[in-house]
Amino acid sequence: MSSSLILRSSLSKSILKRSIFRSSMQGRFLRQATSDRFAYVPGGPIYKGTVNDPTTFPPPSKTHGSYHWAFERLLSAALVPMTVTAFATSGTNYPLFDGILGLSLIIHSHIGFDSSIVDYLHPRKFPVIGPIIRWTLRAATVGTMVGVYQFNTNDIGLTELIAKVWTA
Amino acid sequence: MSVLRPAIRRLAKASIIDARSFTTSASRLQAEPLQKPALNKEFKIYRWNPDEPAKKPTLQSYTIDLNQTGPMVLDALIKIKNEMDPTLTFRRSCREGICGSCAMNINGQNTLACLCRIDRDTSKDSKIYPLPHMYIVKDLVPDLTQFYKQYKSIQPYLQNDNPPEKGEFLQSQEERRKLDGLYECILCACCSTSCPSYWWNQDEYLGPATLMQAYRWIADSRDSNGAKRKEYLQNELSMYRCHTIFNCQFSNLPEGTQPCAAIAKIKLELAAD
Repeated sequence: MSSSLILRSSLSKSILKRSIFRSSMQGRFLRQATSDRFAYVPGGPIYKGTVNDPTTFPPPSKTHGSYHWAFERLLSAALVPMTVTAFATSGTNYPLFDGILGLSLIIHSHIGFDSSIVDYLHPRKFPVIGPIIRWTLRAATVGTMVGVYQFNTNDIGLTELIAKVWTA
Repeated sequence: MSVLRPAIRRLAKASIIDARSFTTSASRLQAEPLQKPALNKEFKIYRWNPDEPAKKPTLQSYTIDLNQTGPMVLDALIKIKNEMDPTLTFRRSCREGICGSCAMNINGQNTLACLCRIDRDTSKDSKIYPLPHMYIVKDLVPDLTQFYKQYKSIQPYLQNDNPPEKGEFLQSQEERRKLDGLYECILCACCSTSCPSYWWNQDEYLGPATLMQAYRWIADSRDSNGAKRKEYLQNELSMYRCHTIFNCQFSNLPEGTQPCAAIAKIKLELAAD
């Protein structure tokens, strides 16, 4: 009985110790920024710290995480009925719909291209060309938006154009 | 000498019968075992020696008789190492698909050499490479340090500061069933190293094996640190570099685990958060 009591008290002590240890660990697992503490050497070793240190996580951000993912998926799913509707109706009769379709397509493409940049030209690996290509994409997206807006308001619009090319 | 021979034979025959051997007659005992014809197959194996860093990695060719070899690729590798080239280096341990040491790329597919049968078609050679896109220690031995560091980062152990008053954590059958297909993973790294996203962004992206283990602890009803575990993955690199390419599923996983399904479930849980 007494031995089991001793065991139990030492167990609770060890649990307490572990929880303190864990809270100190939690700070260690997160890191301030993705790239500034460790310079990336192309083709070099990718290990940070000793072999026994766990890798760290970039700072959490729902905007870059689940919100981005959910928005991307919902937009992709929404584009399916939008495209079908564009076949059924005419953009001249529903200019607002034409505008939404154009905007959705551009944002969808922007997210896709941006994803490729994060995959292949991330600034942590390409400190010069990475930011350049990222801003090029942003400029191109804005340019396309302006162009599509002009085309939709002053000319026949996206849907009509595709309909014409389709039958041509 | 020739006069003696029949006598010796008779003696031998007598002693055989006395010894009650398995063979019923002397002619059976002395019969030549049936020789299978040689079935020579060529194995091309990736070689790189860290002692000669200037020399580029090469494919070295070995031809062995499949009829004198066990059925699995690991048997062939061991035979080559024993009989032809002791410098050939590879990891192996349990030879039955439970340790995950002999994970390598065989004929273009990541799998365990001990569970991969040798293709008996001798017209084609068999190509054996280490796990793709890993730093190589020597020959077929990849450096898995980063893989293990990432596994450590998800804190793969039960975390709960409120243990039950007495006894142990109890789970319902449904709660336990959620862990099926997750806990079996042996961390052979076949799935992670088949993932193109893991190839390009290995320093930040955790890869299918580690993410599946992350989900194994998120899904565990006994663990109370789920919110923190999910928060760690809320960034564009750690998990969201998974583009559902499905390569992890099509690498020949030994335990029938489904990393794709696990990652999809994490994504759903994070989106519902």
